[in-house]
Amino acid sequence: MNPATIPLRNLRRKLPRTALSVVVFALGIASVVALGHLSRVAGDSLERKMTAYGANVLITPRTKTLAVGYGGLSLGDVSFDMRYLPVAETLAAVRSIPMKDNISVAAPKFALLTTVAGVPVGVVGVDFPSERGIKRHWQPRGGYPASDEGVVAGAAAAAALALDLGDPVVIEGRTFKVAGVLAKTGSEDDNVIFADIGAVQKLAGKENLAHFVEVAALCSGCPIDEITAQLQTVLPGASITAMQQVVRQRMDAIAFVKRLALSVSAVIMLTACAMIGLAVFSSVNERKNEIGVLRALGFSRSGVFMLFCLEAVIVGMAAAVLGYLGGAATAGIVPDMLESGAAAAFAFDLGEFALTFAAVSVLSAAAAAPPSLGAARLDPAAALVSL
Amino acid sequence: MLSAIDLHHAYATGAPPVLDAVSVTIEKGDFACIMGRSGSGKSTLLHILSTLLRPTQGRVVYKDMELTALPEQDRNALRRTDFAMIFQMHHLLPYLTALENVMVPFLAGLRPVAAKARVRAMDSLARVGLADKADRLPGNLSGGEQQRVAIARALARDPRALFADEPTGSLDTATGGEIMDLLRTLNAEGLTVVMVTHQAEYAALASRVIHLADGRVTRPA
Repeated sequence: MNPATIPLRNLRRKLPRTALSVVVFALGIASVVALGHLSRVAGDSLERKMTAYGANVLITPRTKTLAVGYGGLSLGDVSFDMRYLPVAETLAAVRSIPMKDNISVAAPKFALLTTVAGVPVGVVGVDFPSERGIKRHWQPRGGYPASDEGVVAGAAAAAALALDLGDPVVIEGRTFKVAGVLAKTGSEDDNVIFADIGAVQKLAGKENLAHFVEVAALCSGCPIDEITAQLQTVLPGASITAMQQVVRQRMDAIAFVKRLALSVSAVIMLTACAMIGLAVFSSVNERKNEIGVLRALGFSRSGVFMLFCLEAVIVGMAAAVLGYLGGAATAGIVPDMLESGAAAAFAFDLGEFALTFAAVSVLSAAAAAPPSLGAARLDPAAALVSL
Repeated sequence: MLSAIDLHHAYATGAPPVLDAVSVTIEKGDFACIMGRSGSGKSTLLHILSTLLRPTQGRVVYKDMELTALPEQDRNALRRTDFAMIFQMHHLLPYLTALENVMVPFLAGLRPVAAKARVRAMDSLARVGLADKADRLPGNLSGGEQQRVAIARALARDPRALFADEPTGSLDTATGGEIMDLLRTLNAEGLTVVMVTHQAEYAALASRVIHLADGRVTRPA
């Protein structure tokens, strides 16, 4: 027999009430565990989706520029000493940083200003598989080129050059075929023609060179500044620019999802704690005579306090185990039910389980503390007189 | 052994006193009865003597210690070692067996009950004739047996004094008589008993009787 015998036996005696308390508390914990997992999964999913809509790091060659202006009129910057990035080496360097797992896509570009049928137009050489990864909002009519002989025309460029699917288009003396026409994107992509980067490099006589590389980085739990710094270390000759606004928007969206989950969890846990507190309060009222007898037998105020708190903690511990397992199961089912496509298997994490167990035990004790304090403060003589 | 000197007590400021200038002395080995009508202050006096209640005014002295001045933890300790109580109702914990109920005083320090303490609890049950019912829950015992388990619980830590608040009050005459016989036997073995009762036939068995009326001692012991 030990001090836990009294609360354990009392809980067993009031089995339906105990079971109800455990189930309700476990439901609260399960909701919190499931919401926590789902918010992480949804955050990651959202981040991946958002990453698919654009890059957030730009790698350009370090060039010397000169600001040109006269008479108060700015004429912009003029680049001299034009430089390029070696594609293979740059991509290899990007894939070598410590946070390489956070790099989703690295897409090199080579831009060529030329004329097509007498109309000045920009031709951008891209690696189509990488570009598709970085611009999933592209919906080219016709599709992507199967070889380096095909091009994809932006909506405005196709209109200006009267290009349609299958039409030949001559760029710098080489004939290409329009494999796809982009729907309007509202971006600069509408005004240019996209061709295979190798073909464009060849036309410009700049093989394996690129003007810039766009990088989409996954930033859940990793500061974009750190990725930028790592890229700068492996590419000392390049200029690495984080597109802060894009990153901030993504992080804000993810943070919102997490804050929402946290707020809902807090409300659920507060309700569960209030329920535990009420259960202990009711128990104290029912067992005033027992408290009087225990005090008469020499139990101190702190001893009585501990017994009642222990009862709540036992309920909390049982609820923590059930709640965590229930939350894990729910987290596996709900994404499928919502058809969110954000499902990710719930991996049992011993550390997280231990943390949940400890946190719920502390919360239960905290919730039970006020009524337990009331029990401890009960005047034993008054309790015995009321017998 | 135990002296109460000029005790005054009121349950609230301005309320009529429940005890008014009460002085009593209990000697070691006494079987003292506190008698009086309902509301005369019997239970209040018992609670003050047993350290459950501090008087508004006055002193209680036990073994040269002024109990009324002792800090709370020392008063708790005294109820674990020297003093024990039984009540009109047995007030056993209904979810514990007879033996476990007897072991409850050993949990007061919030430590597991030692094997030695378990043996003492069993001896205590044997002393009241219930060794064979150690595993029964209170609900499966008769009223007299329940009160005897309560007495065994009180005796478990081998107290010097037993304070009994109308221990036969809820029992029939025959069972009440058995409980009285048990208390007299324990007293004969050296235990000091202070008992509140309003039954004259039981008071007649006491070595010392304190009569209370309206919070005052009317007939000195």
